[in-house]
Amino acid sequence: MADYREAPLATRPKTLDPNEYFNLSPEQRRAEEARGAVRANLKRQYQLQLNNPHRKELIEDPALTRWVYARANPYAHFRPTNKTSLLGAMFGVVPLFALYYIFKTDRDRKEEQIKAGTLERKFSLSS
Amino acid sequence: MRTSEYVKQQQPVNMAGVGFRRWAQALSKGKGSGISALLSGCRAASGLSKDSLPGPYPKTPEERAAAAKKYNMRVEDYEPYPDNGEGFGDYPKLPERSQQERDPWYQWDHPDLRRNWGEPMHWDFDMYIRNRVDTSPSPVPWSTMCKQLFGFIGFMLFMFYVGEKFPAYQPVAPKQYPFNDLHLEKGGDPEKQAEEVKHYEI
Repeated sequence: MADYREAPLATRPKTLDPNEYFNLSPEQRRAEEARGAVRANLKRQYQLQLNNPHRKELIEDPALTRWVYARANPYAHFRPTNKTSLLGAMFGVVPLFALYYIFKTDRDRKEEQIKAGTLERKFSLSS
Repeated sequence: MRTSEYVKQQQPVNMAGVGFRRWAQALSKGKGSGISALLSGCRAASGLSKDSLPGPYPKTPEERAAAAKKYNMRVEDYEPYPDNGEGFGDYPKLPERSQQERDPWYQWDHPDLRRNWGEPMHWDFDMYIRNRVDTSPSPVPWSTMCKQLFGFIGFMLFMFYVGEKFPAYQPVAPKQYPFNDLHLEKGGDPEKQAEEVKHYEI
């Protein structure tokens, strides 16, 4: 397992991560402590709301609201660049014309064969 | 309009009519033009305020610090998506890791999602839930898995193609009937002698 190689959908396990064993400077420990402090604060807020006996409504999660808002409003920050225009054309415009052309020519060819009587109607599924 | 507010007895008021009347009045006094005048110019006071919702890409360090605070992250950890017009704004770029990778034994606020309340969500959070895409370490290297899967599929496809080209089945022949091909049973004349049909050779 020592020659484990990462892939886009397979991350390195924590026990093989060199950061666990080597990069343990005081700055990183302080950073981890600061992250823990932020996390503890959020936990405290949530627990206060959760265990409040006078609470009648659902607990609203601002992070969830922000995520939904960000996913629902991408066009507010959209800018037509080379990449975005190319992607828009490739996914929106090209399939329209390409599929029309493909289906039309295939159907026309089949119609010609039917009219000429050369269409072979086989029962086999694999051709 | 005013009378409906001071009504003492139980008279049913058409609230839809009240709302429509108020909307028409606001429209006539409104400053906007076109479609924006038809839509309401203000948002409800419930929900988050404008400064705690995602905004445009942060350009100055102060904007970055404010955005990091907004998303409950440290300023050093906060990294927005690159500003190339793809619609991310100032949303933070979190590591591409699925929820399956997170510690199953920690007391999460939402255990099925393995997430705490208020934690910034990944842009593709709905893709990285435990029912869907999983990025946890694989027991066998990825290349080995790919080779095994596609090797097997390719081999089976090739063999099926070969089987179509060169079919192999038991030898068959047309069915042989006795009594001169069932001359009497098929309605032939009993007096007439049927032609001799020989199915064998000794």
